[in-house]
Amino acid sequence: MKIFWSFARSTFQFIVAYRFDFFMEFVLAVLRMYGIYWVWRILYTQRPGAFGVTLEQMTTYGVMGMALEMFIWSRPQWYMANQIKSGAIDTDLMKPLDFHWYMLARSIGEMFIGVGVLGLPALIIAFIFLGVQFPPDVASGLLFVVSMLFGFLLLFHLNFLLGSLAVVALDIRHISWAYFSVVRFLGGQIVPLWLFPPFVAVIAEALPFKGTYYIPISIYIGKLTGLDAFKALGFQAVWLVVLVVLSRLLWSAAHRRLVVQGG
Amino acid sequence: MESLRLYVRLVRLSMQARLQYRADFIMGLLNIIALNAINLGLIGIIVYRFVDLNGWIIWELFFLYCLWLLGHCLYSLFFWHFWELEEYIVQGTFDQFLLRPASPFIQFLGREVQYIGLADMSVAIVGLILAYTNLHLHWSLGQWLFFPVVVISGTLIETALVLMMACVAFWAGRSSMAINLVMEFNVLVQHYPIDIFGMWFRVVVTGLIPVAFMNYYPALMLLGKVDPQSPSAWLGYMSPVVAVILLLIASGVWHLALRRYSSAGG
Repeated sequence: MKIFWSFARSTFQFIVAYRFDFFMEFVLAVLRMYGIYWVWRILYTQRPGAFGVTLEQMTTYGVMGMALEMFIWSRPQWYMANQIKSGAIDTDLMKPLDFHWYMLARSIGEMFIGVGVLGLPALIIAFIFLGVQFPPDVASGLLFVVSMLFGFLLLFHLNFLLGSLAVVALDIRHISWAYFSVVRFLGGQIVPLWLFPPFVAVIAEALPFKGTYYIPISIYIGKLTGLDAFKALGFQAVWLVVLVVLSRLLWSAAHRRLVVQGG
Repeated sequence: MESLRLYVRLVRLSMQARLQYRADFIMGLLNIIALNAINLGLIGIIVYRFVDLNGWIIWELFFLYCLWLLGHCLYSLFFWHFWELEEYIVQGTFDQFLLRPASPFIQFLGREVQYIGLADMSVAIVGLILAYTNLHLHWSLGQWLFFPVVVISGTLIETALVLMMACVAFWAGRSSMAINLVMEFNVLVQHYPIDIFGMWFRVVVTGLIPVAFMNYYPALMLLGKVDPQSPSAWLGYMSPVVAVILLLIASGVWHLALRRYSSAGG
């Protein structure tokens, strides 16, 4: 309990210190939700038949794509890149905690701040002003929560892998621009995979990115239900195992290299 | 004239420093091209099934995107480091510009050129050429003459807006989020024609943060989409006027900010 309160206090102080930044971030999130809402609305009115879902499901998909970013976004790669660049990484490595788990713990902390300060308020705005709907039934809602947690873990590990690259590349700023747009695109944050042209859909369906946005939101709006939903969760779980193993391997390789560099 | 010579010398110095990292330079270029390709791919997929977005077919949307990008790339080549103004202010290193007997603005400008803007430029030019041929456009001499004016106006509009936002750092210490806000409107305007959005959004990007003058209004005119009877037809020609007005305001804000500046060094 004591630990919890000290954590809560430091979180609160963090928010107060950066309140302007958080407020602006919130405004940006609302703007993005507003933008995508209108894109789908206009397209839907043009051709209602082409979507395979209702207008409300489609706009909910778009808005949730933007909102989910604040639920599953973690940024271990920036921390790792900074620590490696400045050399401060050795103090992290001396901690009596495995580096990979340490990064995960940090990211979970960040996620709670993001959800509390940005995610939930933005969702409330979306429910009131942008007509976002609740999941069709309780089961979909519960599966969505599970799937979203998987999405968080998948994205964390993808970012962790990117951060490990910083040991070799030193500056990951440029790579990360292209990386983010790949995640958004193949993850289906803006356009759901079922609207992709077949040859792109084949690629997107096989890669882990669709576990970040596409699967959780499709479950949320009731597009993926029953057995399909469980299959999708299985897909997330399998990729998660693969990415965890990859992260361990790549980080230990990077770690060795780092020690050599440090002399 | 004197300040131009000074600017060129400063830029040459900073480029020499930058060229040490050649691999980073090439990675930057490739990544920017990839980023734009993915953005255009997304727009392509959105209209792939629906043929058009509120009457804008795919090549018109590409034209809109690339017209914005061409103005933007000149901004990012020369003025990108407005982002970093807050660092100079917070760390007190801004003082160096005030100590030397030359315009602080020119000195600050000369700190850097962000030449990955060249990648934006190549994407924009290729995209515009493709859009022009695929749309079978035949511009009149007047439209050809107006095109570079639109591009330069776009650059100046973005530059003036970002400079004003960067000046927030003189008062608040931080400015990156304020710049982000402008960029978010920018991105929306770059990707989608503003006629798909609701009324208040159109009012904001026309009157308050007038980024729609970077691409939307001039594109209506250049693509022949404007209805000459419409009461707002003249907006297509207003980009240079908007740019000049914004520059005047931005310059005022900058001078006000300089007077306000007290070093963090103490």
